[in-house]
Amino acid sequence: MKFKLLAQSVLIGAGLLMVGLTPAQSQTREESQGMVLLRGLPTLDTNHSIAIVELDPESDQFGELLSEVEQPDIQHPLHHLYYSPNGRLYSTGLDPSCSLAEIGLSHDSGGTPVIEGFTCLDTQGQIVGEDIMWATSNGQEYMFVTFMGGTGGDDGGSVGVFDTQTNEVVKIIEARKSQVGEGEPYIMYPHGISAFDDRMVVTSTIHPDMTTGVGNVLTIIDLNTLEPIQNIVVENEKPLDFPSSPVEVLFARPDMHADIEPAILANTMFGFETWKIPYDAGSKTFGEAEVIYSGVANETAVPLEFYGTEDELFISHGLPGVVKRYELAALPELVSSGPDIVADPGAHHMIFFTSASGRDLIAVQNNLLNLGNAADDDPTDVDFIADLNAHTITIHDLETGERIAEVNFKESYNKGVDNVEGLFGSGFVHHH
Amino acid sequence: MLRVFLTAAVAVMVAATAWVFWDRARGSTATPIAGFSAPFVFGRFAVPPDNPLTEEAFALGRHLFYDPILSGNNQVSCATCHMQALAFTDGLAKSPALSGGELEFSSMSLINLLWGQERFFWDGRATSLEAQALMPIQHPDEMDQDLDALITELQASRDYRRMFRKAYGEVSAENVARALSTFMRMLISTDSKYDRFLRGEVRLTAQEEHGRKLFMAHPDTKVSLRGGNCIDCHSQFLTSGFRDALDGFSNNGLDSDDDLPDGLMAVTGNPAHKGFFKVPTLRNIAVTAPYMHDGRFETLEEVMDHYNDGIVVSDTLSPLILEADNAPEAGQNTVGLRMTPGEVQSIIAFLNTLTDEGFLTNTQFSNPFEGDG
Repeated sequence: MKFKLLAQSVLIGAGLLMVGLTPAQSQTREESQGMVLLRGLPTLDTNHSIAIVELDPESDQFGELLSEVEQPDIQHPLHHLYYSPNGRLYSTGLDPSCSLAEIGLSHDSGGTPVIEGFTCLDTQGQIVGEDIMWATSNGQEYMFVTFMGGTGGDDGGSVGVFDTQTNEVVKIIEARKSQVGEGEPYIMYPHGISAFDDRMVVTSTIHPDMTTGVGNVLTIIDLNTLEPIQNIVVENEKPLDFPSSPVEVLFARPDMHADIEPAILANTMFGFETWKIPYDAGSKTFGEAEVIYSGVANETAVPLEFYGTEDELFISHGLPGVVKRYELAALPELVSSGPDIVADPGAHHMIFFTSASGRDLIAVQNNLLNLGNAADDDPTDVDFIADLNAHTITIHDLETGERIAEVNFKESYNKGVDNVEGLFGSGFVHHH
Repeated sequence: MLRVFLTAAVAVMVAATAWVFWDRARGSTATPIAGFSAPFVFGRFAVPPDNPLTEEAFALGRHLFYDPILSGNNQVSCATCHMQALAFTDGLAKSPALSGGELEFSSMSLINLLWGQERFFWDGRATSLEAQALMPIQHPDEMDQDLDALITELQASRDYRRMFRKAYGEVSAENVARALSTFMRMLISTDSKYDRFLRGEVRLTAQEEHGRKLFMAHPDTKVSLRGGNCIDCHSQFLTSGFRDALDGFSNNGLDSDDDLPDGLMAVTGNPAHKGFFKVPTLRNIAVTAPYMHDGRFETLEEVMDHYNDGIVVSDTLSPLILEADNAPEAGQNTVGLRMTPGEVQSIIAFLNTLTDEGFLTNTQFSNPFEGDG
């Protein structure tokens, strides 16, 4: 029996449709999946791990760990995740044996993302990795990593410069306060990092043991020489009677938005403030540092991260657990673009994505340091931090801030959540 | 003693016969592709739930791909126009038509089809690989095969009956489509110099790196950024068109409105899609000449000349191409990137890093009817 060509094609097409040979629209959407670093809680007998979690409340798999690799042999967990411009995934780490790692990702034959494992990198003795950024020095791109413990000691701290291809250390930028001359620029407990043109800025936060010392300055590094050239003090109010502890920093710059006048923005963890330091790119000089947001006046504390979308800047405040939002084009001034996004205590890292139905969402990870709680008889409890660990990721409507859902990692997995990053292809525009 | 021997022999024959019937009756015994691992940077992909990637489907699809039994005259196989050494193209501007003359479009390369735009053919007329696979078989100027006749021929082959049974259970047109799709989905190129660069295994030369940066940049004279504008249509890692909606189709300025072919408009009926063609992958582009949907350019230099100052303006020309200009102050009467000759050569040097010799010679993708395949 023969059909004409057209009739055959129609029948075959109908047959293919009947047996479901259409593109697999039911397959998982990666846009809404998050990479998370989970911390085993000592009293709950769990291991640290890297995992992929579904964060779309519209998904049947919402809150499920789709892939997980545990770290049973490492005492302290991995800390912060960053993708390189070439799509390689790195994590800083708190354990001296793994202060920086590269994480392997792939897809299996069904298209499911899989964490293959991680490789700890040689940091030449630099410990307590914090933030990573990729920047250019004399035309060559490098991976810059802040190590809050540096190579050790009471005033340690370094910026590691790594070859982007081989992951080998090219240079350790170090300048101990105890060793440089009076008034000379130093680097101590660096955490936040950002750059514009040939100027890089790192913060001086706190000694990793959280008792030895606390910083209150920014350090400017000349990317031509890879040497520190200036300290800028960012300290005003002392609501905790500690030094200000600048933590995350953002070099606001025109390539983020054409209307932006270059300036450094810095959050002080213990000063509860956001600072602005104007930058004159012509003369390569910084203006006077000034407070542009006061946590004391606004009843917020522990400002942490800067994240940006195409038109807004978001700043997380650990207490009471909110994310404030500002007009990106108005930077370096902080002009509100909408009401606060009310998350949970410890509001910290965030990602942006769309739900299956196309709703724009923001997911906020709510843990400061993910230490345990005294109520659990947890030996890692630190008094002022214990109230900053909700162990949740809350999901909100990006436009209205409405809280839609939450994943409580302590309840579901007996773990805390230390960091969240969008799986490749989602996430953010600017992140520091 | 003889009785025992006969009893044993009968028992063996009964068991063997039972096994044969059981084996034939039990249907597919397909197993997932062993050791499959796809680069994460290529992004997500979707495989139809009822056509998972299996060893048996791949083996069947590979045989079908290279077998001229798929054509009406038993002389044309898929591989006739899709040769592995040429990244599954045929080196011709347009392939010869069975009825004489030539086909409408150039033969497309078959690389990394798991990712990117989910419409196939230059004009996007197939919305899945399974739908695509049967179209050339039936096309009177390509393979001119009657599907009923094909199934009859395949059922007459003990080898094919066995392969279909293992892969899918039965010989059918739908399963021909599934098997060919699986083979094409597995044509994955991940070991070019660019891939090894992305994995941190090698460095690019200064010229290749310059070309890579130009490839990835949309020119912006306000911030002195020079660019080749390639990434606006060819994604960063796959170098193919984008997946979402119809973003993987574009009018890249080849013809004026008077001469503009229908392209995607022939499928969608939307005049805004006139002259739109599928953005192809640039993987192994150095071996897939001639270029464009009609093979009008013989060399990569000619392609770059087109983008540099040969853009033909039409109503549906991509605005990303129209506005991409490294020297707008030059005031010339042409539209194009206006890059320097050195910049053009750098982009071509980068394009040459996309050649994956291992892919082009991988025996798993070669003709199973030749050699030890």
